[in-house]
Formats: sequence, structure tokens, C-alpha cells
Amino acid sequence: MSEAAANLAPAGQVSRPPGIVDRELCLGIAIIAIAILIPSLAGSIYWTYTVLLLGLYVTVAVLQNMLLGDAGQVSFGQGAVFGVAAYTCGIMAGMHGYGFATSLLFGIPAGILVGSLFALPALRVQGYYLGFVTLSAAVVFPELLVAFNDYTNGINGIRVNVPALNRPFFAGITPLCVIVFLLAAGALVLHAWLRRQRLGQRMVIAAASPEAAMTLGFSPGHVRSAAFVIAAVGTAMAGALYVPLVGFVSPSAFHVELSIFFFFSVIVGGQGRLIGPIAGVAVLYLLPNALLVDLVQYRLLGYGAVALLIMLLFPDGIVGTIAKRLGAGRPGAEFGELALAMPNSALATAARPGLAVDIADARKTYGKLAALDGVNLQVRAGSIHGLVGPNGSGKTTLLNAISGFIALDSGRIAALGRDTTSQAAWRTARLGIGRTFQTPRVFDALSIRENIEVAAAGPLQLPEAWTAAKPDQLPHAQRRLLEVLRVVASNAELLLLDEPAAGLSPAERRDFAQLLRTLRDRLGKTIVFVEHDLALVWRVADQITVLDAGRVIADGKPADIVAEKHVRALFTGAADA
Amino acid sequence: MDELVIILVRGVGVGAVFSLVAMSFNVVCNSSGILNFAQGNLLVMGGLCAYLLLPGDPEPIHWLVSLPLSALLVAAFLALQGWITLLPLRSSVEQHSWLITTMAVSVMIGAVILVWQGPFALNVRSPFPNFPLFGTRTPMSYLLAVACAVFWYVVLRWFHSRTQTGLAMSALSQDLDAARAAGIQVRRLQILSFAISGLIVGSSGFVAAPVIKISADSGISYVLNGFIAAVVGGLGNNLGALIGGPLVGVAAMFAAFRFGGQLQNAFSLALLIAVLMLRPQGLFGRMAARRV
Repeated sequence: MSEAAANLAPAGQVSRPPGIVDRELCLGIAIIAIAILIPSLAGSIYWTYTVLLLGLYVTVAVLQNMLLGDAGQVSFGQGAVFGVAAYTCGIMAGMHGYGFATSLLFGIPAGILVGSLFALPALRVQGYYLGFVTLSAAVVFPELLVAFNDYTNGINGIRVNVPALNRPFFAGITPLCVIVFLLAAGALVLHAWLRRQRLGQRMVIAAASPEAAMTLGFSPGHVRSAAFVIAAVGTAMAGALYVPLVGFVSPSAFHVELSIFFFFSVIVGGQGRLIGPIAGVAVLYLLPNALLVDLVQYRLLGYGAVALLIMLLFPDGIVGTIAKRLGAGRPGAEFGELALAMPNSALATAARPGLAVDIADARKTYGKLAALDGVNLQVRAGSIHGLVGPNGSGKTTLLNAISGFIALDSGRIAALGRDTTSQAAWRTARLGIGRTFQTPRVFDALSIRENIEVAAAGPLQLPEAWTAAKPDQLPHAQRRLLEVLRVVASNAELLLLDEPAAGLSPAERRDFAQLLRTLRDRLGKTIVFVEHDLALVWRVADQITVLDAGRVIADGKPADIVAEKHVRALFTGAADA
Repeated sequence: MDELVIILVRGVGVGAVFSLVAMSFNVVCNSSGILNFAQGNLLVMGGLCAYLLLPGDPEPIHWLVSLPLSALLVAAFLALQGWITLLPLRSSVEQHSWLITTMAVSVMIGAVILVWQGPFALNVRSPFPNFPLFGTRTPMSYLLAVACAVFWYVVLRWFHSRTQTGLAMSALSQDLDAARAAGIQVRRLQILSFAISGLIVGSSGFVAAPVIKISADSGISYVLNGFIAAVVGGLGNNLGALIGGPLVGVAAMFAAFRFGGQLQNAFSLALLIAVLMLRPQGLFGRMAARRV
């Protein structure tokens, strides 16, 4: 069942609020078409050239937007990908006499290769580390072109003429105009389409929280790599087309400033907005060029100043700020009530006999501190099992060990009939083990509906109100509930909940206890939960394990262990606090 | 043999400059989690101060007067930059705006130098003679850069462990929320840390001015190599930076001698990737490069 949940195949039922994105997409395509048509029809060679160059830049920036805004990957090196493709085509066509079409067979794969290489460090490092690695690549690339001048013609550059693509076939429109339009518009369509696919949503999740990604049963590294490869394909195609458009490649055209220009375009336009890169490229390129035509050396100053000002004045970028002014989001009304009504029999799992979790002598130390000091734990399938104990007693560590976020020093864990002792978190999740966190991993960029659907195994009946509402309108406690719903929707058999009731009101706590019972009785789930509200635990749990300093100090039915000395101390301790 | 001595001496000298940039990274990063991309161009700005303040044929007295002046000038600039960088972090949930703002400032400094001084590297003459070392004549500036690195290492160590302000700043690096809860004025300390990093790069750019490349496009190379030195030593750790710098410097100098100056940065990049792949926490690091 949960294998299906983890399948990377696109899920047809995932839906966005219709209209908003589509309108943006149509607007974007229309802008590109008009921008290319007008100068071509008017017969302005200079403006046709400029607009086509910007079309290539927009292609790269749109994909960089996907990489940064959706997948959260900071790459300062997309200009190098662009340049490698362009230069390889230039070398093959200009120095070795191949036709331009043939040179594409070398240029595009070369660009894709370099762009995909960025994914390698991205598997290990994130954020500014990755930014520095890719930035270094962008600095080094033109230096290498000069260093290996026997193969690249060094600083003299390479001249390539491709007259066939530049000959107008109708009223000033050349084949290149059509190709550049298709490429730029195609990049936009790809980005819009990707966002509706499971892969696109997973990029958002992996960027917001790698832990959550693993809980949902996929490796954030795989998703990041996919984003880099997709970006590299389009960027390399744009780079290859630079050659027939400009007719000349030289190292100075692919300096690090080009990469920074692509990055800034995304930010200035509005990170994550579909048509943001069009606005960004236009403003960053045209503004300095139009205002300071005679002073090319001021262009860099212009890039820097515009990017800085936009970041300070409009942190959401041009398009982002406009969109925010135009439409404010609706509140997610009555989320709590709807949430408690959501679980239905479609999400039921077949009852399993025996133990859902069996832990033997689990040990884990951090430095000198023993977080788990020989813990044994058995959880019956189809039961609600409470874990209680003072702060630092090892409750969360135990959940982490079951869900595979930490590896034990020694001991064994079996869950849902399999040995999961040394299994990675995302593999464990695929077995049907769902997990929530103390700090809810909720994705504000997705709607409430998408937050649940992203983990869903099959079609869900969800309230209409959740389609457009964003989770950032929910109070903290309800965000936690949303995370529980997501895990339920993933069809996990075993739910590991870390302080799910924290912050809920007394009335909500009663409802929550009922939700747990519903999950157990009607859907056949096994629930292990860590909770500080002892009254709640004693009311709802079938079995309770009390931990202290990494050891089990009591274990049994609520009524049986309540009289034990350790447990009473826990109650009075809680009363003192 | 001669070649080896030159590689070692100059590598350590250039590496000391990388160490200084790395330490200036650490100061800001420890107090705010921000890595200032402009740090390389600010080093160049220290060099530019030397070019503007020192007469064509300087005496040691000119040098002694101008050194603190240039350190203070760059520190004042960095305090302002720090204030601007921290502005959007106050309200916005977007906590990565500094990636863009510091990069934008870096681009602007480079562009201003380009517009003002042109594309060519500026030469600064040292008031001190070359000194003989293992039979080679070595510019005094290399030795001064090493002294400067050791000086700032000692000062920072004293500051972080012996002064009230320094202790509070160390507290920031460990737990920002706890520090705030303890009544520490976080924002003011963070801006102070920017200013201190300015004292470091301002003085080092000045001291090393005769041997570094002072031009519009050279900052990025120093920021990269400084970052690599910081990563090799372990980001946030000043002892690591002090040792990491010369390691990177000698490696880069070796690459320059063996394969040509054009491949120096390529070699540094390879070193960076190797360290991140094999030992992301660096030689002495406690910060993990990896989130998961």
C-alpha cells in the first residue's frame, strides 16, 4: 500500500487552484511572443537581436527559478552551464568544421553534464556551501577557456556563422526567432507543469524540510539531483543557441557576472513566481542598458544596486509584490472540525496480528550522555501506545530510532514485521511508518489540500475550503494537526506522533483523543505518541511506557502502572512545574 | 629546491591573507549565521586605501599612521553594510536575503572600483625592503601578512574569552534564542561583529597591499580562497582558519608554479570539493555543512 504512496509517478488527482497559475503562464507566453514579434516585424535588427538574447536569458532564469524557488538550491553557476554548451558548440562548429546541427550533439550534452555535476556537491552540502562551490565553478570556467587556449582559441574567441537560422522566412521573422520563442515558452510551460506534478511538489518539500521528505518516503537528494538535471537540460539548450544568435564566443562573455545576473534576475523578478524571471531579466538588462547606453561599465553597478534595493524594499520581488497586493489569501476556516472529520474508511489499513514495533536493548549515546540506555519496547499492532517521561528522557530519540533518523549504537528494531535497525529514514517510511515532529513540518508554499495530497496514496475526499487556503493562516496547534492528517493520508500503518497535542485547547484535546481512537478502531492504525499531557495519555492510551534517563522505568496498562512510585513522581513533578 | 622554498614562503604568505579573510568570515558567521560575500572586495578595499593614503615612495611612518586609518575606514563601511544586511532579516520570514544583499554589495564595490580606477591592477610600494630567506629575496609584506594573521588570531581569542562583549558574542554563536532570552542585545552585537570583521580585512588588505592584486575583479578570488581556507579549517573555528589559509595558499602557489597561474582557482575549487566530500566539518570544525 505504502509502496504506492512513495511512487514517484505523477498523480493525476493533485490539483492547484485553477486560474492563477494558468493566467500567469498565458501572460508569460504572450509577453515573450509579442516581445519577439514586434522588433522582427518592424525590421529592427538591433532590437530583434537583443530580444532573442533576452529570450535565451529568460529560459535560463526560468529554470534557475525552478531550482531556487521550488527546489531551494542555491546555484551561482548556471552561467557556466550555459557557457560550456555554447563553447562546445562553438569549438565543434567553428574550429573543427562540423555543421551547427552536428555541434549541438556535443554542446548540449556537455552543458547537461556540467549542470548535473553541480548535483554531486548538492547531495552533500546545502545553502551557502553549495553557493560557493557553484560560484567557484563560474569563476574557474572562463579561466580554463584561457588556460587551454590550444583547444579553445583562448581570448581571441571563435567565430561561427549559421546563416540558415538567421535568414528571414516571413516579414523579418527568422527560424531562430521561432526556436527561441519555443524554448523560452517551453521553459515556462515546463515549470508550470512541473509544479502540478508530484516531483515538483516533492522539490518544495525537500527544500522546506529534508526530514519531512524522508518521513514521506523519498530521498531529498534524489529530488535535488532531478532539479539540477532538469535545469541543466534547458540551460544547455539556451547556451547552444547563443552560438547562431551572436555568431561569436569568447571567454569574456561567460564571466561569473553572467551567473550572478541569472541569479539576481530570479530574485528581482520574484523568487518562485512563474513570470518573475521575465520581469527580472527585463529590468536588470534593459534598465541599465536603456538608461546608460554610453556607459557600459556602469551596468554592473546597476545590477548590484537594483538587486540590493529590490531585496530591501520588495523582499518578494517585482511580480511577487504585485501579486500580493492584488489578491490576499482566504483564511482556512473551521480547519479543526473539518480535520477531525477527514479520516474515512478509504484510508483503512488491514489489521495485522502481533507486534507493530519490537525493540530489543536499544542503545544510543551522544558523547557521554546515554540517550537510550538499553531500551526494550513492544507495541501491539492496532493499539495506542503512549511514551511519557521527563525532558531528555529519550522519548524523541526513541521515535527517531524507529523512524530511521538516527542509527543505534547497538540493539535491534523490528517494525511492521521487518528488521529496520539500520534502514534510512525514507526507506522506513516506505514500509508504512509515518512520523510527525515537535515543530510541525508544514509547507507554506503549498495549499492545505496539497500539504495532505503530497503524501496521499490515492484519491482523497477533501473539503473544498482547503483547495485555495494556505497553511500559514492556521494557528500553530492546527498546523500540527495538519501534519497528522498528512501522515494518515499516506496510508501509513504505524503513526509516530511527537507531542501532537501540544498547544491544543482543552476542547480540542478531547476531539484529538477521539481522533486517535477513530484512527485505531475504524482505520486499524497503530499509534505511538510522545506527550506531556499525562491526563490525555492516561485517557486514550492502551499501553504506556515511562522513560527516564534513557531507561524504561515502567511499562503496562494505564490503570496498572498509575500506582507505581516512579509514575506518581512523574505526576507530582508535572504538577510542580 | 629554490622553487620549493619560493612556493612554501609565498604560499604561506598568500595563505595568511586567506586566513585573515577566513577569520573575518568566522566573526560574522558565528554571531549571525551570515557569510559575507563582499569580504573579498573589502580586502581589496583595504588595499585601495593603501594605494590612496600612501605616497608614491612611502616611509614607515606613513605606513604606521595609515594602517589604523584604513582598518577603521573599512570597519565603518562594514558596520553600515551589516546594518543594511540585517534590515530585511528583522521582519521577513525569508532568512536567505543576505545571500543576495551581500552578493549585491560585492558586485557594487567591484563596479565602483572599475568605474573609478579602471580595469587594471593598482601597484602599491612597500616602505620596507625585501628580506633574504633561504637564499631568496622575499617581499616583507608576506611576513607582515603572517604577523597580521597571528595578531588577529590572538586578539580574537582574547576578545572572545576575556571580555564581556566577546563572551556575549560567543553566546550568540551557540544559541541565538537563548542569548536573546538572557537579555543580550543581539542586533547591536551582530553589527559590531561586522565592524570587527572590517578591522580584520581592512588592516590585512592594507598590510598585504604590495603583494595582493588590487583590481575590480580580484575580490572574488580572495573571497573564494578565504572561504575554502575557512572550510578546510572548519567554518567558525579561528585556529582552523589560521592553519587552513597557508594550506590553501601553498596548494594554490604550487598549482600556479606547476601548471600556470590560470589554473590556480581551478586547483582551489578541486580542493574545496574534496574537503566538502570527504570531511565537510573541516579539520577543526564543529558546524556541519550538511543539514541532513
